[in-house]
Amino acid sequence: MKLRKLNKGNSRSGLGIGRSNLSRPKRSQQEMIGFVLIVVLVVVALMVFLVISARKAPDEKQSVEVENMLDVILDYTTSCATVFEPQFDSVEDLIKSCYDNEDCDNLDKMACDYLNSTLRDLMGDLMATESVINAYQFDVVHRDSEDLEDEVLKVEGGNCSGSVQGASVPLVVGSGDLVVRLRVCKEA
Amino acid sequence: MKAQMKIQQMAFMIVAVFFFFILVGLFFLAWQSRSLTTNFEDLQKEQALSSIEVIANMPELNCDSEKSLCLDEDKLNVLTGNLSNDYNDFWPVESVRVYRIYPAFSESGKKKCPSLECNYWEIYDSAQELNEQDESKDSSTSHESSQEFSSYVNICKNMKEAGYVYSKCEVGKLVVGARLAE
Repeated sequence: MKLRKLNKGNSRSGLGIGRSNLSRPKRSQQEMIGFVLIVVLVVVALMVFLVISARKAPDEKQSVEVENMLDVILDYTTSCATVFEPQFDSVEDLIKSCYDNEDCDNLDKMACDYLNSTLRDLMGDLMATESVINAYQFDVVHRDSEDLEDEVLKVEGGNCSGSVQGASVPLVVGSGDLVVRLRVCKEA
Repeated sequence: MKAQMKIQQMAFMIVAVFFFFILVGLFFLAWQSRSLTTNFEDLQKEQALSSIEVIANMPELNCDSEKSLCLDEDKLNVLTGNLSNDYNDFWPVESVRVYRIYPAFSESGKKKCPSLECNYWEIYDSAQELNEQDESKDSSTSHESSQEFSSYVNICKNMKEAGYVYSKCEVGKLVVGARLAE
């Protein structure tokens, strides 16, 4: 036993290249690799955290509620008759008349001007009954066969704070589509 | 001494990594539960809206079988009158009310229909019915609460002008009270 210990001691100290001397750089290399791995792991986890927390909410959320609101607005019967009185136009008809640059026969007003003021009044009254809605934007755009959009009408009001919900309805006209979009801002 | 230091270093590192992953896990759980709550609320809202659509499309209220979310003003006037008592067992909800939103006739709050320049129809209210039937009953024993859901609707009326019949539609709001079990 003593002899074995002696031999061991000799082999280490005597030759100067003992096991501890050999393994020191290897062990430190291992430690470094371990440390780097942990750092990489932490950085990856932080990146995931940042990506999730910084990911923005979608700009506009499609909503059944707003879709119903838009359908109801489009069916509202206005006081404008573009053909003859008492065939009064609904908002939907008036949007088409506005696109065709027609006027209200019974009111001596352009369809677009009348539509603009009616929508402003209507949306104002809707906002007054719905306390969570603080702003709205009503757009009508013409989309041609090449999907190029051209603004026909834009009515907006209020100051937007909170989440945006929207809905759109396509109306068929001679050359392409008229897309009616309603966006409302709802307080969280 | 060196070995002790190494063990300490290692232990601290393991504890730090452990806490870090615990924090990440907690964040993930919080985020998951938040999205779950949002999804639940959205689903509840959608369900309520579809229930409102069912009520609005009932032939007792609907103005046209082809049109959705459209109420007949004449039917509303009839149901608000004495006939409404016969329908008390019919409604699958706690209350049914309709408000005229645009054009707003009455500047000073609600004015019950049928009357001139009115803006409000009370079709059904179970609380009122209960009060009328039995005032001695203690409602506090009930473990149910009521919540109101609403949707915009068209209130349409057939008009005749210069021999020409047309449908005039206004904007209204259908408010339905549903009983929720607590």
